[in-house]
Amino acid sequence: MKRIGVFVCHCGINIAGTVDVQRVVDALSSYPGVVHAQDYIFVCSEPGQALIRETIKSKQLDSVVVAACSASLHEGTFRGVAKDAGLNPYQCEMANIREQCSWVHQEEKGLATQKAVRIVRSIVEAVRLNKDLQPIRVPVTRRAVVIGGGIAGIQAALDIADAGHEVLLVEKNPSIGGRMIQLSETFPTLDCSQCILTPKMVAVSRHPKIKVLTYHEVVDMSGYVGNFKVKLLKKPRYVKEGTCNLCNKCLDVCPVVVPSEFDAGLAWRKAIYLPFPQAVPSVYTLDERVCLGLDPLRCGKCSEVCAPKAIDYNMREEVFEVEAGAVVVATGFDLYPMSKLGEYGGEKYEDVISGLEFERILSASGPTKGQVRRPSDGKEPKEVVFIQCAGSRDPENHKPYCSKICCMYTAKHAMLYKHRVHDGNAHVFYIDVRTPGKDFEEFYQRAVEEDRVNYVRGKVSKVFKQGDKIVVWGADTLSGKKVEVKADLVVLALPLVPAAGAEELFKKLRLSTNKHGFLQEAHPKLRPVEHPNSGFYLAGVAQGPKDIPEAVAQASGAASKVAALFSGVELLREPTIAEVVDELCDGCAFCVDPCPVQAITLVEYIRDGELKKTVKVNEALCMGCGVCMATCPKKGIAVRNFTTDRFLSMVDAMLTD
Amino acid sequence: MRVDLSSDEIRSSLVAEIEELCGQDVLKCYQCGRCSAGCPIVEEMDLLPNQVSRLIQLGLEQEVLNSKTVWLCVSCFMCQSRCPQGVDLPTLMDSLRYLATKRGYDRFGPNEIDRETIMRAPQQGVVSAYRKLSS
Amino acid sequence: MEIPYYPGCTLKVKATALEQSTVAAFAALNVSLKELPRWTCCGAVYPLMGTRIAGLAAPIRILREAKLMGSDTMVTACAFCFNVLKRANRDIAADPLCKRRINAYLADDVRVDEATNEKIMQWPEYAGEDDVKVLHLLELLRDRVGFGKLSAAVKKPLRGLRVAPYYGCTLLRPKEIALDDPEQPVIMHDLLRSLGAEPVDFPFLNECCASFLSLAKPETALRPSYQIVSSAEAEGAQVLAVTCPLCYYNMESRQSEIREQYPDFKGMPVFYFTELLALALGVSLDQAIGWKDHTVEVRGLLESVGLRDRDK
Repeated sequence: MKRIGVFVCHCGINIAGTVDVQRVVDALSSYPGVVHAQDYIFVCSEPGQALIRETIKSKQLDSVVVAACSASLHEGTFRGVAKDAGLNPYQCEMANIREQCSWVHQEEKGLATQKAVRIVRSIVEAVRLNKDLQPIRVPVTRRAVVIGGGIAGIQAALDIADAGHEVLLVEKNPSIGGRMIQLSETFPTLDCSQCILTPKMVAVSRHPKIKVLTYHEVVDMSGYVGNFKVKLLKKPRYVKEGTCNLCNKCLDVCPVVVPSEFDAGLAWRKAIYLPFPQAVPSVYTLDERVCLGLDPLRCGKCSEVCAPKAIDYNMREEVFEVEAGAVVVATGFDLYPMSKLGEYGGEKYEDVISGLEFERILSASGPTKGQVRRPSDGKEPKEVVFIQCAGSRDPENHKPYCSKICCMYTAKHAMLYKHRVHDGNAHVFYIDVRTPGKDFEEFYQRAVEEDRVNYVRGKVSKVFKQGDKIVVWGADTLSGKKVEVKADLVVLALPLVPAAGAEELFKKLRLSTNKHGFLQEAHPKLRPVEHPNSGFYLAGVAQGPKDIPEAVAQASGAASKVAALFSGVELLREPTIAEVVDELCDGCAFCVDPCPVQAITLVEYIRDGELKKTVKVNEALCMGCGVCMATCPKKGIAVRNFTTDRFLSMVDAMLTD
Repeated sequence: MRVDLSSDEIRSSLVAEIEELCGQDVLKCYQCGRCSAGCPIVEEMDLLPNQVSRLIQLGLEQEVLNSKTVWLCVSCFMCQSRCPQGVDLPTLMDSLRYLATKRGYDRFGPNEIDRETIMRAPQQGVVSAYRKLSS
Repeated sequence: MEIPYYPGCTLKVKATALEQSTVAAFAALNVSLKELPRWTCCGAVYPLMGTRIAGLAAPIRILREAKLMGSDTMVTACAFCFNVLKRANRDIAADPLCKRRINAYLADDVRVDEATNEKIMQWPEYAGEDDVKVLHLLELLRDRVGFGKLSAAVKKPLRGLRVAPYYGCTLLRPKEIALDDPEQPVIMHDLLRSLGAEPVDFPFLNECCASFLSLAKPETALRPSYQIVSSAEAEGAQVLAVTCPLCYYNMESRQSEIREQYPDFKGMPVFYFTELLALALGVSLDQAIGWKDHTVEVRGLLESVGLRDRDK
């Protein structure tokens, strides 16, 4: 006979304001198996925990039911208390009489109390059938895979490696650097972006513990925290790293010219190319999608002029698997397509450009060498209009969220424009100016006061071409006037959206996102760098729009979580997973296919001269979801401490008056 | 004269009346001004369309029902189609004309249209003008 | 193909050019537009507020007629009517209470059987979009005839005539009833191309022409029309193609008034798109063009692109 203790929490007035806790205690005191029942104002507090600990000892309790809030909040707390008092922690269960009772029945106190009694009784029945369980110990592979080689991925890789662990930095483009390498100067310091990023890129390439895998993609993953198997695809560059000496001769002869991704389509590159001078690794890449044919019969010119013989058309895709203990996802962002903004011309007008295109124009290493010129005729624009919220904060037509960085980078763009074109006019059409970071407000005021940028409060309705000008229709809501600007150049602050390909990748890795495709956090306030799936950590805009300081901070945070994961000798996993009941399982294998993590396999063996079929559960993979139990007609498989009989007795207890 | 935001005037009846008349929640408007920026008739208006919305939000009935603006709206729906919050301004304008008529405010009536124009214009123009201006 | 057709009051009196060319053009395409036997004005504007029973009764009654004809589609040539009918159709389908009310209201209607002269007061319930779909002529051409087939039926291609397609408001807004993308529509561009004309894209193609303001405040209403036609001009168009009689009135019939207020206004010929359609399909000049409605001289232009009657 078990000796069960019941502790009913008031949770201040959260529970006690609706549920009559004294009546619950009284009802449970006389319940079979319960040898102690009492209430307390905040059981999760130190004195509350001490109370449970002492009572376990003084009343020789062998199991405990804490009737309080949700197990997702304090199950760990109370199991820890039980363990301290010498019990197996799995002999402690929580009965939720708050979220599932007092909080949702605030108008019906009498009925709420009755329901609370039933809930607690059912958990007493559950605990009665609980067995002692020991956590499953698994080894940890102390290697991290970082997906994405932008500033967030680079920072995470450096921090994990500095903590002494191996890192594979996987980047789908030919070079690391992400978006930050495309920027000219960064707010609020106006630091040259490439100057502050390239040292980190070099550091990453030189770090003995980091392997930089560019032009690679993650194609699949299996396993669980501490023990992942990651399948990587190495895309063929057709140029041998280490052999290529960047002599550039292939550039002169390649006949294919395509828009350059690095220059946001404002300049050209060849089929064989180096994305930018400071690329890491420093090797050319041949883009087979646009190359004439990778074949000396079709072209072959680059190979002919390559003195070190670095070009090899016979390279092929390679797929290989690596083991890792943790994955940091830092896949970054793209801009919302301008073609969706028909009122701003869609993509019709050459002189209506995105913020990223303007960065390339401002950049000293860009298509105009940092001189401000407009794409259509190369003239220096004298009237530039910056349109903020071009798609953001628009639940009706585009994206409902604020993209966070545009107010700041628009102020920066306007300032940099004024620094270079002294007699030019910069107009910024805004709804609000959001400057929440350190030194941000002062930066924006500098744009207005020192650089005389004209801020007009009103969202632009339409933009259209008239002659060689772009006419902008806006309104100044503060003075109540409709306004118009005949601009030479218009720059749109487009919404940030998750990077292309991220959606498919997240589906493959089974990583949940919010409805806009940004990765979900384990808790929006308290666990911002972890994904709810164990072993996955988040860094950068993949989790939501943010600026560089925040991306770096988040990356370091993710790295510290990885280091913590790798710090123990082994990992402990929850033992409440599926277990086969050998006597009952007849190997019908109904449970094999429905298992979402493919943890069940059919096995056959000879026993007593007969062929016995049964199933085997991979304890490393099983998540304890219980689908197998639901499909089994024989009660041959059950999740530990969540058996069918236990559920049935819980239900009986709930339905008994 | 200061508008007393704490008095019963503010957000008392006008917002609720509008919501009842046409189901529009005027408080959704965050005053971005896009409606005013794209309105084809705005140059003729005394109050900007976003100002009309703001005055309703503040419950300043007299000022908004006295304006010429509500009588100039032609329900072209350009504002509504670009509004980031989907506020239906044409419907708001219809409701304001209705209230202005009911409460005896000065207004432009269909009787002011001259006979020659009525004979010359397409009937759809006559019918729509009469209906919209005699709310 | 036979399809119920709702002309609307304006087409019968002030916009005969639109109706005449429509009927002729579709006859040339073997599409028989069967005018509804009983119809009234649709109300011209969609009732936006209140319980709207009176305002919805007219359009729903018209749609019910189409249902009585046994069809699940009805086509209209007037852009204003299209807007009212399609909105009424959607709202009644979406709001069960409204549907009950309107049907109850219209149950008291009476019709007379032509054959027996009997008064009939039995009416089918009208449920909205699921019963009859409202199509505009442009949709009919794109979806039921097909621009490919249309191209093949063209007898007198418009020889690269530079036409600015003006869509206006009522076909594109609100977006729930739009027959194309409200900011970057292409349906009329595609139609013109299949007729051999060169569509000229211009930024004011979906801006409002000032609608009925030209009756209420005639001087005020000139500016939008001036801007629209000037914009088409600036992009190199020779003519403006419109879909709506009120747009036609504002931008064609009032061109002399526009010139008075804006002396730099050049002006250009304006056609209903159906006039161009009829011409291209080989309909005779007198059937295709509503001569009396054109205040701006068009004969010269038509001759310059080789469109003249063989008989003349």
